[in-house]
Amino acid sequence: MMCEQCGKNPATTHVHTVINGVSIQKNLCTYCAVADGYAGLHSGGLMNMLSTVFGESLAAYPSSNEKRCNCCGATFSDIVESGRAGCADCYKVFGPQLMSSLQRLHGKTKHVGKVPQSASGKVQIAACLQKLKEDLTLAVANEEFETAAKLRDQIKEIEAGEKHE
Amino acid sequence: MSKWYESNTSGIVVSTRVRLARNLEGIPFPGRMNETQRTETNKKIIDAIINVPSTLSKELKVVEMDTISDAAALAMVERHVISPSFARNRKNRRLILSDDESISIMLGEEDHIRIQVIKGGLQLSETYEIADKIDTLISESLTIAFDEQLGFLTECPTNLGTGLRASVMLHLPALESTGEVSQLADAVSKIGLTIRGMYGEGSGSKASLYQLSNQVTLGISERAALDNLKSITMQMIEREQEICKNLEKISLEDSVFRSFGILQNARLLSSDEMMQYVSKIKLGERLRIIKLKDENMPIKLLIETQPAMMALNMQVQNATERDIERAKIFREQLA
Repeated sequence: MMCEQCGKNPATTHVHTVINGVSIQKNLCTYCAVADGYAGLHSGGLMNMLSTVFGESLAAYPSSNEKRCNCCGATFSDIVESGRAGCADCYKVFGPQLMSSLQRLHGKTKHVGKVPQSASGKVQIAACLQKLKEDLTLAVANEEFETAAKLRDQIKEIEAGEKHE
Repeated sequence: MSKWYESNTSGIVVSTRVRLARNLEGIPFPGRMNETQRTETNKKIIDAIINVPSTLSKELKVVEMDTISDAAALAMVERHVISPSFARNRKNRRLILSDDESISIMLGEEDHIRIQVIKGGLQLSETYEIADKIDTLISESLTIAFDEQLGFLTECPTNLGTGLRASVMLHLPALESTGEVSQLADAVSKIGLTIRGMYGEGSGSKASLYQLSNQVTLGISERAALDNLKSITMQMIEREQEICKNLEKISLEDSVFRSFGILQNARLLSSDEMMQYVSKIKLGERLRIIKLKDENMPIKLLIETQPAMMALNMQVQNATERDIERAKIFREQLA
């Protein structure tokens, strides 16, 4: 069965509503279902959830449908349908569209933690600072004030160096 | 060399597992790569881990997943060495495995590289340190897909950021009996963790075994995620112990000894039944109600008598033969 709204994609969402005794049935594809505000219905599994999350991005950026990732050839709808990126570049190519979904998924959109050796110097320093600050919090919590003082000096030194640059 | 399920599994925390998801820059993720790319990528990663001067490399060997039998692959799932999806799709897939199976690196699962370290007991920092070392070793010769904003880039957006999934397997018979486990699910989800039953459908669990793991990977450092998980684990241990203290002694002893008796004497033992009784004797051993030859025996036998493990080791043909053989193993081991 094809989507009764756009007629282009298979109908995967079947909605039956009864309002004041009036019964209405709709058979929609994922895109039209999301556009009609039925995104919340797709809550079966993780993949469905991801598709829904990204589907809302799709509804907000319908024009990005045609664009392809140069590295793997994936389109934005490929990512929406599978709930998976095709390659690392997809995150750059479709980054703006994905950002609000990622925010909803993780609550945050800025990485904190380990960075690989290939990352730029600036990123390495930021990661190092973040780790020192974690160490400092821990040292204070454990009442290791001598260690804490040393860590604070180290942090100050790095931050001063950054400003200088 | 002893496996994770042969030592240190007698406490409430049965095992600890950490997993790091990593990908190489400029190559499609496994879901979208062709076979040539897969072969080349596998080779690059194996070279970076095995063919370098490192003490770690000596312990590791490469398993060509397309050359092993279905039973051997499923038995690896039962031993928690690989994921079910890696066992299903083994074409041109490689596994880098340590002798004791505590380190397993899946190449071409959902991501190019999945580093897993598993150990008996609560060993979050120990397991993470090993995984971290392997990750650093790889990044010395290969460029890992990374973004300043999104962290390590992974096929599934749920792993973005640190790519770290850390989990502990907990034995929670008392918390389960009071129904608190299901309430905890709500509470832990609020702090970015998730708890689910193992060996069961939905939220239930056949051997009262539950897996607690971090859910959020973006915007939280590895250390913070591990600390979070550890602190909730400690609280669960405390609560489980507290409830155990208040259980009615005679009915607890009765259920432990009955289960022990069945395992020592049964002639037919289904997998479901086995799980139920193993959970009781594990609790009995921990509370010193019974004394087993080896305190690790409940979990060791639970893993070793899973269906694929038995098909692999005993050449049993059908479910009845398996139940007969399983009962025999328990009779001999618990005699």
